[in-house]
Amino acid sequence: METIKSDYLDERLDQVRAKDFLKYRSGDLPTWCPGCGYFGIMDAFYKACRELELKHEDICMVSGIGCSGRTPIFINSYGFHTLHGRSIPVATGLKLAREDLTVFAVAGDGDALGIGGGHLPHVARKNIDITFLLFDNSIYGLTKGQSSSTTPHEMKTNSHPAGNPDTPLNPIKLALAYGASFVARGFAGDPEGMKTIIKQGIQHKGFSFIQILTPCVTFDKTNKTWKNLKENVYGLNLQTRADNMETAMRAAENEPFGVGLFFQDKDRLCYQDILRNLNS
Amino acid sequence: MKDINIVIEICGSAGEGTISAGEILSRFMSAQGYEIMSFDSYPAEIRGFGKCVAHTRISSNPIYSPGKFADVLIALNDNHSISQLSALKNQGILIYDSQPARPHEEDKSVLGWVDPGMTTYGIPLTMLAHRAAGNSRGRNMVALGAIAAIFHMDKEGFTASIENRYAKKKKIVIDSNVNSFIEGFEWAKKHIEKTDSFFFEEATMPLQNEKLIINGNQLVARAALDANLKFYAGYPITPATKIMEILSKELPRHGGTLLQTEDEIAAIGSVVGAGFGGIRAMTATSGPGFALMTEFTGLSVMAEVPAVIINSQRGGPSTGIPTKTEQSDFNAAVSGGTGDCPRVVLAPTDTYSCYQATVLALYLAEKYQTLVVILMDFFLSNSIRNIDIPPKPSEDLLNANVAPRPEELENYQRYKITENGISPRTIPGTPGGIFFATGLEHDEYGRPNYSDKGHLKMTEKRFKKHAAVLSEAPAPQISPLEGKMADIGVISWGSSAGAAREAVMLARKEGIYAASFSSMMLSPFPEQALIDFSDKCKKLLVPELNYGGQFANFATHIIKRPLERLNYITGRPMASEDILEKMREM
Repeated sequence: METIKSDYLDERLDQVRAKDFLKYRSGDLPTWCPGCGYFGIMDAFYKACRELELKHEDICMVSGIGCSGRTPIFINSYGFHTLHGRSIPVATGLKLAREDLTVFAVAGDGDALGIGGGHLPHVARKNIDITFLLFDNSIYGLTKGQSSSTTPHEMKTNSHPAGNPDTPLNPIKLALAYGASFVARGFAGDPEGMKTIIKQGIQHKGFSFIQILTPCVTFDKTNKTWKNLKENVYGLNLQTRADNMETAMRAAENEPFGVGLFFQDKDRLCYQDILRNLNS
Repeated sequence: MKDINIVIEICGSAGEGTISAGEILSRFMSAQGYEIMSFDSYPAEIRGFGKCVAHTRISSNPIYSPGKFADVLIALNDNHSISQLSALKNQGILIYDSQPARPHEEDKSVLGWVDPGMTTYGIPLTMLAHRAAGNSRGRNMVALGAIAAIFHMDKEGFTASIENRYAKKKKIVIDSNVNSFIEGFEWAKKHIEKTDSFFFEEATMPLQNEKLIINGNQLVARAALDANLKFYAGYPITPATKIMEILSKELPRHGGTLLQTEDEIAAIGSVVGAGFGGIRAMTATSGPGFALMTEFTGLSVMAEVPAVIINSQRGGPSTGIPTKTEQSDFNAAVSGGTGDCPRVVLAPTDTYSCYQATVLALYLAEKYQTLVVILMDFFLSNSIRNIDIPPKPSEDLLNANVAPRPEELENYQRYKITENGISPRTIPGTPGGIFFATGLEHDEYGRPNYSDKGHLKMTEKRFKKHAAVLSEAPAPQISPLEGKMADIGVISWGSSAGAAREAVMLARKEGIYAASFSSMMLSPFPEQALIDFSDKCKKLLVPELNYGGQFANFATHIIKRPLERLNYITGRPMASEDILEKMREM
């Protein structure tokens, strides 16, 4: 029975894949809910890869656990679906072993800021040359609707039916404070804008942190809904250069729905270059 | 060469040069052509006048264990040495400071506690050190000079060893150490009336081969570099830290990368990432770090990514006793983690085999695409031996990845089920070999698959691969039995194996027909060999450094026969004397 289903899909997918950018998509059917923001993110990702003409075999996507953890399955490239919260250390080892690869790490808000929160400061301060995509829907989706590290205070969830007692983290502020050399935000409903950000992230030599605002259509009916996001998201218009930390911090604090580049330090050496300098 | 077998202990307070005096003694004795094994014990605190003991066994014959009791105790510090007297033989020799800076009260003087059978030699260590160099720092060297005179050691050779030890220091440091040594030597020669009968030959045999004076940690690092290690990630933890420190210097020179991570989870995580990238990667830790790394053991096995973890065991559980040796992580290494998770576990049985175990671990991990754990312990990490330089690993041990043939890349199945369970593996960057690895159960392509049949087939594959490792494993070390039943068979593992072998030799001299069995390979375990061995023994004994008898329980399941146990957790390495005593009781 399964075989018939997958043959049918393979055929259909072959047809759409002929439309060029979809060749970065694998033959496996995404397991995300219909309407999930992740489809928009993947769209942007495929387009960014095509525009940079990355070779399939030179891309490696490393993920953790959760809905975002399934990402590598749907990409026609090398991929590693690792453990909850651990995409960053695995991607770090892979990049240090293989500088020639374009390495991505992907994580959800629970993955990156909850269980794996201890890795973020270190990948940032080491300036490991990977592109990190934070799929931030402010909820635990795969375990069905519990509060995460970015769930708003007092929002009702399945783990906090009376309201979330915790204060949410601000991912952009954290990334800036940890010393990430590239900090940006994208929106799943704006694949064009996000494609540009992902491309910039790939081209940035160092740790690129990209928070992506995306809805969980199944377990969040009040907070990051398509409606709320579409009404509130706008393009950032920072008045100073992208390497101004003060402006970036202020925007991180005051512009929770602004998308675009917050901060970039182009001069900072990535980890391997630092090692080469120190050991020469 | 004269038959020599002696244990010399130097006991002092942290900062008195106890450990460096022991090191010089070992180097000198090695240069004289003797076998040496030395093991220091020191407190977990960096400062605070804790008790330090440098323990050195010197022998003209092979050494298997450090020896439980000392023949000679050099007391640099009376207070600490009083408790160390219990490790001095009844007929042992005590060297003490006869004119300490401040006179001791009677019950605080080591001399007040000696047994009547002991020989004592008082040397004015403090006074002579002052005379030689103007301060008391050289007391340790004065003591070495005194024993050199008393036991007829080669003065010139000893002086050369001191000069070597401080070769990188300023001339004044070398001079004051050498002068202190000579001061002690001349004083003892003139004033000590020898009442014991122990002495070395002054003229010794020239060395046959160049020897390495090395501990397990240093040897592991050397082996890893020889075996093509290209990535090391680690987090500082006693007693494994030294491996990282050596590699941090050496790896970049060998074209590799060292990463100090934020915790042990990140360390093993990046090792797995580097292994996925196709290079040889390793980490080293101890109990508490291994507990964290357990998170990744399942992923390495499930996703079939090579990884090597060294666990140098210390007293546990939890933070336990960081600077004492123990063998209590057997269960954690062999079965720590969740699910049906077959992994390779190797436990070197002596310093030399730390080299072999490391080379083998990196080879097996790469070829079988799995996790390999090397179980060392504090004693193996830190005890120093003089060994022959190990031969470099052969080419087939250095390139072990089973890569797919071009025709296998058409419709490539990363997790293809094969006879021995090994599926040809591509590494990222290989055109046509694209796959993704996952910790989810998967089909032969690597796609998630939760069917009951699929799970069974894949689990069987992983176990088949594991079993295949045994065909390449070094054979267990078994003492020959001349067609007779042994009275007692001693089954041991890890660093206790040397003491077991020695105890068996001593027992045979006493008329107990004993035999020993030890295997470096703990998982998969050579079960049939153990069954065959136990069938030839009337009684069985398992000595190990843990309380619950972790390996004894494991062995009981294999041989299905009751056995005797010898367990202790004193923080000292296993002693042949204790095994022998137990055999006499059996």
